[in-house]
Amino acid sequence: MTLFWCSMILSSLVFGMMTGKSELLSNAIVSVGSETLEFVLPLIAVTCFFNGIVEIAFQNGCIAWLERRMNPLLRFLLPDIKEDTETLGYVASNIVINMFGLGSAATPAGLKAIKGMQKHNPNPKTATRSMVTFLVLNTGGVTLFPTSILALRVAYGSSMPANFIPYAVIATLSASVAGLIVDRWWNHH
Amino acid sequence: MFILIILIVSLVKKVDAYSAFLKGVKEGFLLFNDVFGSMLSMMFAINLLRISGILDLVAQIFSKGFLKIEPSLWAMMLFRPFSGTASMAVMIDIFKYLGVDSFSGIMASIIQGSTDTTLYVITLYFGCIGVKKIKNSMAIGLISDFVGITVAILLTFLFFS
Repeated sequence: MTLFWCSMILSSLVFGMMTGKSELLSNAIVSVGSETLEFVLPLIAVTCFFNGIVEIAFQNGCIAWLERRMNPLLRFLLPDIKEDTETLGYVASNIVINMFGLGSAATPAGLKAIKGMQKHNPNPKTATRSMVTFLVLNTGGVTLFPTSILALRVAYGSSMPANFIPYAVIATLSASVAGLIVDRWWNHH
Repeated sequence: MFILIILIVSLVKKVDAYSAFLKGVKEGFLLFNDVFGSMLSMMFAINLLRISGILDLVAQIFSKGFLKIEPSLWAMMLFRPFSGTASMAVMIDIFKYLGVDSFSGIMASIIQGSTDTTLYVITLYFGCIGVKKIKNSMAIGLISDFVGITVAILLTFLFFS
């Protein structure tokens, strides 16, 4: 990442100077701080709000209810840990919180889930079947309610901020289903 | 809608919804520390790329070779699997300069929502438990990203053009 970042900046600076845009470049350098703050603030505000809502759902048991609905599906997808209800619970919370588009809030549960899977791993340096499947689910990122994108669209004055959601949901579902199919076919054929 | 359901359930179950909400908000705000730094660094790099003209150059090559869409959308797709903040920064750039309700703005929103950051998830999770042999999880993750982004583009062309 460091290399990637530095080379992006270096190449832009060199290329920009060669094509005579040094003044524009230095303007950008001065203004980037406040520009970033301008869009991070509304983003954080909305994330806070939904974090609050999700916390209520957590404490009143709505999330636990959703998790129980997912249990049969997870047992089918992750057969080698189906006895370990605690780990399955963490997997479920991770996926449910991800559905609200709160990726970073979902991470703690996800880490507990993968640590739980590691306990059943006969060979701790090598990924197990369920770890691969779990991460495929996670990188596909089933998001039913993309909070942060919605917040940004509102912040930039969209007249129909939510109209992209159904299409994004179809895309994210296809990504996850495709990942799961490839995983099944490649690893358990 | 789902806020209503959640509030009714907590009233029925006598859960202290108000203090739960405050707790969640507080935790959410802690994200500011992490997000601002990575956002600022990405915005900086992407602003420079755009202003210097490199972004246009690269994207023109892609647009000629493959699909004719806005140059920054190509950049966004290339960033998406590697850094969610980077692709989000490009998305904001598109909102700002092409319009949030423009064809490109909508396509950017759908692409951003179509998948999660594969590289980040895999490094974080496997790093945390010290697994070195990750098998083919990276390849599968990238395939699933590819499918998600392709579907996102097709849907935008189908319903918004």
